[in-house]
Amino acid sequence: MSRPTPATRRSAKSEYIETDTGNKISRRSIIEGKQNIMLGGKSVVMAGAMLRGDLVRKPEKMADGEKEGPVTAIHVGRASIISTNCTIRPPHRISRGRMVFYPMRIGDNVFIGPGTYVSSAVISSNVHIGTNCVLSAFSVIRDNCKILPNTVVPSHMTIPPGSVVGGRPARITGEVGEGWGQGGGGEGEEYVEGGDLRALVRSIR
Amino acid sequence: MAAAPPYALYVCPCSSLSSTTLAVHAKRASAAPADAQADEDSTFNSHDPRANYALYPLDHLLFCNECDCIRCPRCYTEEILNWYCPSCMFEVPSSQVKNDGNRCARNCYDCPICTSALTVAALPRPSETHLNPNETEQGRYILQCGYCEWSSLDQTIEFSKPTKITEQLAKKRKEQRRRKPEDKAVSTAHGADQVDGYENLMAFYKEQLAESGDASNTYSSSPYSSPANLAKIMSLYGGLSVNALKKAREKPQPMREARTDKEGLQVHSLDSSAVDEETVRRLQAVDWQDTPTHEQRFSGPLNHQAIQTNELWPVATPLRIRKGKRCSVCRQFLSRPEPKIPNLRYKIRLLASNYVPRLLLRPLNASSTTPNPAFRLRPNEAEMSPLQPNIMQQYLLTVRNPIFETVKITLATSSSTPGKVSSRVTILCPSFTVGPAGDVWDEALSSSTTSVATDDGGRQAAMASLTGKSTDEADRQPEAGKIWTRSRNSTSIILEVVPGALKPPPSIVPKSDDEMLAEELTEDKDVLEIPIFVRAQWDAVEDTDASASAGRKHERRAAEGEKVRKELAYWCVIGVGHIADG
Ligand SMILES: [Zn+2]
Ligand SMILES: [Zn+2]
Ligand SMILES: [Zn+2]
Ligand SMILES: [Zn+2]
Repeated sequence: MSRPTPATRRSAKSEYIETDTGNKISRRSIIEGKQNIMLGGKSVVMAGAMLRGDLVRKPEKMADGEKEGPVTAIHVGRASIISTNCTIRPPHRISRGRMVFYPMRIGDNVFIGPGTYVSSAVISSNVHIGTNCVLSAFSVIRDNCKILPNTVVPSHMTIPPGSVVGGRPARITGEVGEGWGQGGGGEGEEYVEGGDLRALVRSIR
Repeated sequence: MAAAPPYALYVCPCSSLSSTTLAVHAKRASAAPADAQADEDSTFNSHDPRANYALYPLDHLLFCNECDCIRCPRCYTEEILNWYCPSCMFEVPSSQVKNDGNRCARNCYDCPICTSALTVAALPRPSETHLNPNETEQGRYILQCGYCEWSSLDQTIEFSKPTKITEQLAKKRKEQRRRKPEDKAVSTAHGADQVDGYENLMAFYKEQLAESGDASNTYSSSPYSSPANLAKIMSLYGGLSVNALKKAREKPQPMREARTDKEGLQVHSLDSSAVDEETVRRLQAVDWQDTPTHEQRFSGPLNHQAIQTNELWPVATPLRIRKGKRCSVCRQFLSRPEPKIPNLRYKIRLLASNYVPRLLLRPLNASSTTPNPAFRLRPNEAEMSPLQPNIMQQYLLTVRNPIFETVKITLATSSSTPGKVSSRVTILCPSFTVGPAGDVWDEALSSSTTSVATDDGGRQAAMASLTGKSTDEADRQPEAGKIWTRSRNSTSIILEVVPGALKPPPSIVPKSDDEMLAEELTEDKDVLEIPIFVRAQWDAVEDTDASASAGRKHERRAAEGEKVRKELAYWCVIGVGHIADG
C-alpha cells in the first residue's frame, strides 16, 4: 500500500508520476486530501480525474492533545484504471443535520471509463464501467460486472456479480459470459473486459 | 451485433447457417423465392437476418470436452441452481419460492415508477421534538426512490419502524381498503381485489383442510400431505381404516367451498355499467401523464388495475437465479457456479476460449494502437476512421492457440464478402502452424534461457506492427504464402481487404414492399464483416478409453493407436469497421 506521494521518479517531461508500487498519477489529475487515498499498486489516475479524498468523516469531537490519524476515504486496489475526467467522490448521507461521509472501496482490475462519476460505496474486482456513467451514492457493484456506457446507477442499488447493467435508471439487462475476464492481457494481445489490466496499465504513459 | 468494430464473433457448428447443413438450407431456400439469395459457395453470411442468433463472442461459448464440440445457448441446457434477491443478496430456498412466489419477502422493494430500488429513509422529526431526540416517540419512516421523486408518501404511507416493511405494508394496504369503500366497487370489478381475494381463499381452504380432519398441515411438505396418500398408507399399515379413524373423531366436518366475501368468494356481476361509468369518471379527472404505463401496471399483481400512477404500490423485488449449464448431448455440466451468492466463482467451467483458437484483427502499419473500443481512455480518442471504399487495406490477423499442442490452421474465406456490399478479401497465407500454449512459467523460463533471440524477435515484430516505427520493419513487404510474425503460441498473417462501395440507391423505383424489406435487412450493411472458416488440426495423445468414449465425428484414430488426429472447424466472423459513405 502506498500513497500517491511522495513520488520516487520525477521527470519533467512525463505526464505520469510513478509511485514506489507502480501507481501512475497524471500531473493533470486533481487530487484532494491525498493522505486519505490509498492506491494498491499498478493503478492509474489519468488526466482530469478528480479524487475527493478530502471528503472524510470528521471525528465527532477532537480532544485537544491527540491528533487523529489519516482516515481512508478512497481505497483503490491493484491494476485499476481511473480514466480521464472521472470524478471519484465518497458517498455521504445527512445525519442529524450533518453531512457524514463514508469511505469508498474500489477493487482490483477495475476499469472506469472517461467522464464517469463514481460515488459508490463498493466496487468489487474485475468490473468494467463504460464512459459517461453515473454511479450514485452508496451503490454497490459486485465483482465481474459490466456497466454499459451512459448508465445511471441509482443510489443504494446493489448489482449482483456477473451482471450486465444499462439504462437510466440502471437495470440488469443480462449476464456476462462464463469467459468474462478470461484470457488476453498478454503482450500484444487484446485487452479483455474484466480481465487482468496490468498490460493496459503498462501501455499508459 | 452491438459490439463496435473491430470484433470477432464465433459461430457454433450446431447452427443451421453453418457449413455442414448449409446445402440443405440452400435447397430449401431455392424453393422459396424470398430466400433465393442463399449463397451457392456455402459461405456463412453474417448479414443474414438469422445470423445474429448464431454469432457469439467467444466468452459466451462453452466447450464440451466429452463431445469435442463447441456449445452455445442452442446446444446446452440450463438448469436453476438457486434463487436469490439481487438487492439483499440473500438466497431463497426453492420451497419458499414455490410457496411465496419469486419475490423477495424481506425488506426489498422497487420503485413502481422507475423500477430502481427503494430505501427506507427516516423522516425528519418535527421541530418541537427536534432538540430532544431522547423522547420515546416512534420514528417515522418512508420508502424512498433513489432515482426519481417517488416516495411512499405519495400513497400517504409511513412506517413506524425501519424493519419488517412487508408486514407493515400489508397492514397499511388493508387499512387503506377499509378507508376508501367507494373505491372498492370499482376495484373489485376490475379485479384489484384479486390479490386480497386469493389470500382470503388460501386462508379459508387451509382452515378447511385442517378442520376436515387430517393432519396434513403438520406434514405439508411430506408425502403424507394429500389425504388420498394418507388414506392409502393408513390402510396399508394401520389396523384402523381412515374412515373409521375419522368417525372416531368427535365431529368431522366435510369440506365446503367458499361462500362469503370474507372467505374469498367474489361474485362477478354481468351488469357493469355503473362501475364502468365510475371508471370513466375517474379517468376523466386524470391527466394522460398520470396514467400508468403497461410496464408499470405489470410490475406487480397489486398494480395490474391501477388507473392513476399514484395508486401504484411499491413492488417487491423479483428474485434472480443462478444457472448451471449442461451439454445437451452428453448431459455433463459445462458450467456450474458455486452456490455462494455474493461472489461469482465456478466449480466447473469449460470455456470455449481454452479450446478454440482465437482470432484477432488489427490494421497493419496503424499509426496508433487500435485496442478494444471498450477501453477508450480519453473522450477525444477518435473512434476508428471509416474504411475508404476501393482502397486496399492490409490487416494483421493473429491466431492464438490456447491448447498445449502445435496446431495446424487452415483459413478459408470467399473472395468477396457476402451481403449487399461485397468487399474483396485475400488471405495471403491461408495455411500455417501455431505453437502450443504453455503456462506462465514455461514462458518465463523459455524467454530467460534458450529462445531469447526468437522470442525477442517476435516481440519486436509485434511492437513494430503495433507502432509502425521500427526502421528495418518499415520497408518489409507482405508476401503471399509467408507468415508475418510468429510468437510462442500465436501466428500473424496478412489479410488484404478492398472495401466495396456502398451503392447509391437504384434509380429505377422498385416496389415499395421490396424496398422496405431491403431497408430492414440491411440495417448494418455498412459494416464490413469477413466470415472466415477456421480449421484447426492437431495430434493429441489420448488414453484409449477416453478417446473411445469421445469418438465422435471430428476425430479419426491414427494407425499407431496412441496418437489421435483431432480437428475443430468453425466459422468466425470478423467485423473490420464501417465503410465510408460516398
Ligand atoms: Zn451450438
Ligand atoms: Zn431482498
Ligand atoms: Zn423511482
Ligand atoms: Zn457433451
